[in-house]
Amino acid sequence: MGRIVGIDLGTTNSLVAYIDAQTGQPKCIPGPYGSTLCPSVVSIDADGSIIVGEPAKRRLLTQPERTIYSVKRLMGRGPGDVQDELKLFPFRIDPSSKNVIRVRLGQKVFTPPEISAFVLRELKNWAEAFFGETVDRAVVTVPAYFNDAQRQATKDAGKIAGLEVLRLVNEPTAAALAYGLHEKQRGRVAVYDLGGGTFDISVLKLISTSEGDIYQVLSTNGDTHLGGDDIDNLLQAFVHERILQHNQIDFSPHGELAQELRKALINVKHQLSEADTATLRFSLPNGKVFAHEFTRGAFEALVKPVVDRTMGPVKQALSDAQLKPSDMDEVVLVGGATRTPLIRHTVQEYFDRKPHRELNPDEVVALGAAVQANILDRGVKNMLLLDVTPLSLGIETYGGAVAKVIPRNSTIPASAQELYTTGVDNQTGIEIHVLQGERELAKDCRSLARFTLKVPPAPAGLPRIEVKFLIDANGILQVGAKDLRTGEQHFIEVQPSYGISDTEIERMLEESIEYAEQDFAERQLIEARTEAESILTATAKALTNPQAASLSAEERSRIDASVAALKESVAGSDYKLIRKRIDELNQATEHLAELLMSCAVSTALEGRKLAEV
Amino acid sequence: MSTVPTSVQAPLVCWNCHERTLGTHFCSSCGKLLQLPPGIDYFALFEMPRNLWIEMGALEQKFLQLSWKLHPDNFVNASEQERELSLKRSSELNDAYRTLRDPIARVEYLLAIEGERKEGETKQQAPPELLEEVFELNESLDELREAKASGEDLAELKSRLEAAEKNFQEKLHDVDGELQATAREWDAALTGDSLTRKKIMARLNDLLNRRSYIRNLVTNVAKELAEV
Repeated sequence: MGRIVGIDLGTTNSLVAYIDAQTGQPKCIPGPYGSTLCPSVVSIDADGSIIVGEPAKRRLLTQPERTIYSVKRLMGRGPGDVQDELKLFPFRIDPSSKNVIRVRLGQKVFTPPEISAFVLRELKNWAEAFFGETVDRAVVTVPAYFNDAQRQATKDAGKIAGLEVLRLVNEPTAAALAYGLHEKQRGRVAVYDLGGGTFDISVLKLISTSEGDIYQVLSTNGDTHLGGDDIDNLLQAFVHERILQHNQIDFSPHGELAQELRKALINVKHQLSEADTATLRFSLPNGKVFAHEFTRGAFEALVKPVVDRTMGPVKQALSDAQLKPSDMDEVVLVGGATRTPLIRHTVQEYFDRKPHRELNPDEVVALGAAVQANILDRGVKNMLLLDVTPLSLGIETYGGAVAKVIPRNSTIPASAQELYTTGVDNQTGIEIHVLQGERELAKDCRSLARFTLKVPPAPAGLPRIEVKFLIDANGILQVGAKDLRTGEQHFIEVQPSYGISDTEIERMLEESIEYAEQDFAERQLIEARTEAESILTATAKALTNPQAASLSAEERSRIDASVAALKESVAGSDYKLIRKRIDELNQATEHLAELLMSCAVSTALEGRKLAEV
Repeated sequence: MSTVPTSVQAPLVCWNCHERTLGTHFCSSCGKLLQLPPGIDYFALFEMPRNLWIEMGALEQKFLQLSWKLHPDNFVNASEQERELSLKRSSELNDAYRTLRDPIARVEYLLAIEGERKEGETKQQAPPELLEEVFELNESLDELREAKASGEDLAELKSRLEAAEKNFQEKLHDVDGELQATAREWDAALTGDSLTRKKIMARLNDLLNRRSYIRNLVTNVAKELAEV
């Protein structure tokens, strides 16, 4: 078995963390660019190879058509759900999308879980490079307010990436775990988590018992389509409008220029977290520069609607937990967007308490995921997490109404049994429609699954079928049925309304392995080029050494030819050819190396002699 | 029928070691997690008598204690059978805690296990003593809908409905008070004769139906008023 990690699969950035064996503390793993943040951006090259993270993010500006970001917004959703997103995000939905969304990236078409899987695989690579061992299992975090379909899609992404997802943990709960370990907090804690694309609020109770610490979630609420992205969208719309007014330029909201503007505005937003004013300077295609000074006040007035939208869920979560703001002992801020001073002040004012933000708000969720991964891996028995289901589970009844069978904020795992019978003689099937949500009518709730219970022919009302709905510790639904007259158990294959079938996942897994091989070729190329660069530098330096003068003319010209050939191969993308030319240059410089070596050795010996004297 | 949980259970055969076992959660011979033995209802699971008054602190403590033992986190590396069993056992524990913590769900559950209430039973006929008021209320609601459709002045109707809503709110409050009083009677008669207990249960059942009926009325009126 390989190693286990904790992964925060974020809208904007993703991170991977582990528990340091020496200190017992969770730590994030840096990637090849030194940062622990892997931008959740995926790009496809003309030759079909996949690029993930920082280099993909740079391609947002140069190849927006071949690059996708914020794909988490599409996870577990149907084409009908995302019309609003399409106005704001450059998602190119393929016409082949039926139940499951398919997005176009270059010449290819992918489902959101496949794109998320590229990000997960990248993080897996980071961790494997770091440990020098395989990583095959993970705890992955999800927004607490994610529904069944969104959770299932996240689990599917893990599978496609070649990771066994041992548990999905809610992001605010993970953050509470990391803080609890850090500060040994007790009492009631509110976690306010505003990420790139999702908002969660969770109310927890931290209890010390003789066996260990229990993190009991009392209630959770949120909005899976509210985050820092929305602040950026407001800023972007504001500036678009200005540019249109003053310069009569109306550029496509998703083109390269828009991406560049978005990047500049995010920079302005970051500056305004520290400074009182920040100026946007943006070069327009007509050669003019659009400049606009934002004061913090004007910025805050602009983004206030986003902050206000978070307060509804906050109040609901407290009321569900039957608590008042003043009942909270601690408040924790999580997510990059909580760096915005307006958010900090709003939260502080509401709870009348200075919120904690000692841990890096970008990293804290991944750190908590690593803590839970460690608990599951080693059976560490001094901590227990009791989470809840964010949405009520219901069944459609007569007239399109919904009967709730598991209320929201029930501790998971949770279950409910319902008894079904037939209405007419010899009826062979009973239709069951499972929903998630708080509204009273089925059409206003989220459809999770529809299936038909098979019933042996019998007079009406005689069959007695018990259907068991079970929400597991990941917040994912399982359904089973039992014929109470025969005691026969049925396993029900529930095809989620917006999910991917198991066979499709198998196919995606196979394809992703092909991509992994492409990725492998790409890594080989990078490594070969790096090695070529260093051997070329070393050769050039060696040739300036006085010892090089003793090379024969033939030897010298062979070296020069090999250097030229290697340089030529580095410009191409055939890593095998580069390797071959490296070997050739190594052979050509064998004598030169010997000359230098003997010189170095004699110098070393002389040195030693001198030292000995 | 005994209403007090007894510590004597029919010995069970363990699925793993096939020994007869006396455990409620784990096999007394091999230590493996067991199916919940038959006859262990929610009250017995928490080792409590079938009292309707429950001390919340004690209930929570027992819940946390059992959570440590049964939670799927403990069985991640166990066999598939044990993982399934822990999922089942911990969901049963959570269902039990959710039910007993809620005073109304607790009464419904008690009546169900005593065989005095069918699962999901809620009588939707108006209780006879409320018939007249319900009739008036429905009339006012119809008038309100008509007035809304034709754009008439709603002020008078609205205040009439608000008064009715308040009236039914008070009735709901009264029913809750009666439920509490009857629950205390139940607790006092817990070890008493079965006829007395049956009578109390019949009253509890009526009160639950009444409560559910009035609560629906209040919700509907509030919804109509919110749309004005």
